[in-house]
Amino acid sequence: MKFALMLGGTLLGVFLGFFPGPFGRPKPLWWRILAISCVAATTILGLLPPIGGSMTDAVIQGRADSTKSVPVYIRAQPSKAVEDEHGTVLIPATDARASNVRVMLRAFAPVAQELRAAGDETAVIVSVRRAESDLVFQADAVVAVDPLITLPYIIGLEERARIIFFHVPMSWVAVIAYLIAMIFAVRFLRTRDLQHDDMSMAAASVGTLYTILATVTGAVWAKFNWGSFWNWDPRQTSIFILLLVYAAYFLLRNSIDDPERRARLSAAYSIVAFVTVPFLIFILPRLLPGLHPGSSDDSNAGPLLSPRSDAINPTKQLLFGLSLFSFTLMYFWLMNLRVRVARVLRRVNALPEKS
Amino acid sequence: MINFMTNNATYVVLATALILWAGIAVYLQRVDARLRELEQRIER
Repeated sequence: MKFALMLGGTLLGVFLGFFPGPFGRPKPLWWRILAISCVAATTILGLLPPIGGSMTDAVIQGRADSTKSVPVYIRAQPSKAVEDEHGTVLIPATDARASNVRVMLRAFAPVAQELRAAGDETAVIVSVRRAESDLVFQADAVVAVDPLITLPYIIGLEERARIIFFHVPMSWVAVIAYLIAMIFAVRFLRTRDLQHDDMSMAAASVGTLYTILATVTGAVWAKFNWGSFWNWDPRQTSIFILLLVYAAYFLLRNSIDDPERRARLSAAYSIVAFVTVPFLIFILPRLLPGLHPGSSDDSNAGPLLSPRSDAINPTKQLLFGLSLFSFTLMYFWLMNLRVRVARVLRRVNALPEKS
Repeated sequence: MINFMTNNATYVVLATALILWAGIAVYLQRVDARLRELEQRIER
């Protein structure tokens, strides 16, 4: 199911990217509005929905570090609460997703008051810390009452797991971009039509922009997750090599003046360069031990490929599909602009010079 | 700044989203500059 959503988002984006009609035409208004609203929706929905973990998350986190609060998605029964002599209230609660998991929440008066205001059996997200056993938790604050959608809690990533909607599509769409650059390079070598060279160059250009953005967003995230911006993690090393490979592509292009020769050489280079892309993005970082989710010594295969169902819930799958779709559209829009400028440039160069 | 973002991790993700927008804006700026240069050449 999650693979269908990921693949569907990408394929729909690629289909709409080439639709309607010849690629060098301006995109229609509805297309541009769709692209903008999808990216806006991704940004809002990626940041806004609260994270609601399960009681299991709270137990695992609490055994490792009992000072850390975990937002859990639960249903409390404040009407059955009992108060002890110190003014703390004990409230029975169940996991909102698994009603057979029963726990006790220990709350001070203000939090207990908020839970009473929410009412019995209302789904709430409460940030809790494991107290003396796996059955008693200290409730610190009510995060959300009856949230419409929730995102899963991933131990060690927490709020930073939301980067999946912004950073991951960048590198995935970059792979598609380099693939398109390769396809049009082949088409150029077959037909010797310079229009295909424009397409190939524009695809590689926006692809490189996306690769750079994936690197920079990853580095900012790494500062807060791993402690430093850059530590030559296998993932960082491989994307750095990828950037070098495509930097060489643009250096090659800029060093040749004759358009025909430039197109021929860069098409050949682009085909060879693409061979490295799947290795550097999908294979090499998964084979080596590292800090990036999905490295070979990660406890699971990373949130996206993990067989564990709680690593990415249906909401997150849907949002990730949407984010792939919207950043694919954004890619095609930028590429469309770049192609049109390249075509006009060739026409202007072909005009006789007015003096 | 680093401390604030460590304690409020959602802002780390907000920062990455803003970096994306900034990157796309820089790219648009460069395409715009190329286009302007072309327009000037056509004018001449």
